[in-house]
Amino acid sequence: MKLFFVSAFLITVFGSTPKNKLTGRWETRPSAKGNITGVVFNQNHTHEVYINKKPFVSGKYSLRRNTITIEETGCNGAKGIYKLIFFSGSDSLRFEPISDDCNERRQGMSRTILGRVNK
Amino acid sequence: MKKYLCALSAGVMILFIQAGLKNEGPANKPELGKLLFFDPILSRDLTISCASCHKPDYAFADTSATSPGVGSVRGSRNTPSAMNVALQRIFFWDGRAKTLEEQALAPIENPDEMDLPIEEALKRLNENESYSGYFKKIFNSEPTRSNLGEALAAFERTLETTESPFDRWKFYQDRNAVSASVKRGFILFNKKGKCVSCHFGSNFALDEFRNIGLFNGRELNDSGRSIISGNPLDAGKFKIAPLRNVGLTAPYMHNGMFKTLREVIEFYNDPGKVVPDAMNRDSLLAKPLGLTKRERDDLEAFLNALTDQSFKQKNKQNGN
Repeated sequence: MKLFFVSAFLITVFGSTPKNKLTGRWETRPSAKGNITGVVFNQNHTHEVYINKKPFVSGKYSLRRNTITIEETGCNGAKGIYKLIFFSGSDSLRFEPISDDCNERRQGMSRTILGRVNK
Repeated sequence: MKKYLCALSAGVMILFIQAGLKNEGPANKPELGKLLFFDPILSRDLTISCASCHKPDYAFADTSATSPGVGSVRGSRNTPSAMNVALQRIFFWDGRAKTLEEQALAPIENPDEMDLPIEEALKRLNENESYSGYFKKIFNSEPTRSNLGEALAAFERTLETTESPFDRWKFYQDRNAVSASVKRGFILFNKKGKCVSCHFGSNFALDEFRNIGLFNGRELNDSGRSIISGNPLDAGKFKIAPLRNVGLTAPYMHNGMFKTLREVIEFYNDPGKVVPDAMNRDSLLAKPLGLTKRERDDLEAFLNALTDQSFKQKNKQNGN
């Protein structure tokens, strides 16, 4: 019995992927036309991008210190590497391109400022 | 006296009820647009409204390959869904309209559709006491070409759907919202099926024109985009169709030649088998996809998962 509780504790603490400060839902402010773009970064290193609640990109990401590498549907599978810049007490986020062959994504990411959406 | 009081209070009550029932008309542009969308006043013989071809139960598309216009005249192209147009940048199969406002007016004037010159439509609306009042109230103007298009477009922009099983899975993170088959279908859509190369975006379509191989210059002789652009290289190119609610919008393609989603998938799996003499088919479709039966089932399941929940609830209420 004791062993069970110890194992359960160890699995809980160390077994799951640790939550990073990127995990969760982030959204832009409404654009002039009222469009809101957002992204959900999941703990399992997948993410979903959407506009006006309509998902349009699924992908996976990896983190290394303040650098994110993303790979998504669209962009012909090209990888993009960006520096993460948190501000406003980590409740706001923008991306600085390091390398990305997908020009459309690079342009989109460069001008995006996201705010954390608290559930 | 008692009788008199009873009659008086009944009379007052009737007046209140009548006042409550009195239609005060649309309060804003989308509401006015909705009224116009469903009103045959915009067709020459007062028989056809926008909704005659853009049927609400079928995601504002039609169920026949081509829709009958005034006098049962038929055009040559399939009626696309009028839903999820807010983010679209090109309109009509050949992209002849650049704005939704421009698009909204075209069927009114088209002789194969509502066949009513816009000037005549404006005259009718002006002479109609109700409409004349609504335009005055909402636009502070009499009906004009510009505000008529604006009202219709404003209504169309309200027809956005974001509650499909796919949305529940991806946006709301509900992994039980879709079956394993749908999840496999989504992977196929993005990889082996190559669908995402054209059907990319929040409505599953790039704002582009492609030649998928339904033009051979003979029985398939609609040259599509080239009619507008004047560029012979655009022959056979058509607007990439958005896929939200695609399970409800059969038949498919610019000419409605495929009756089911399954037929569409079979076509893409091996386009040369269906139209062997297609001219300038897009290189993306140069080779057969080689999808197995299960893969085709999965792709179909994924496409059906793009149907908004509101239609299912409606069908349930109607006992379908």
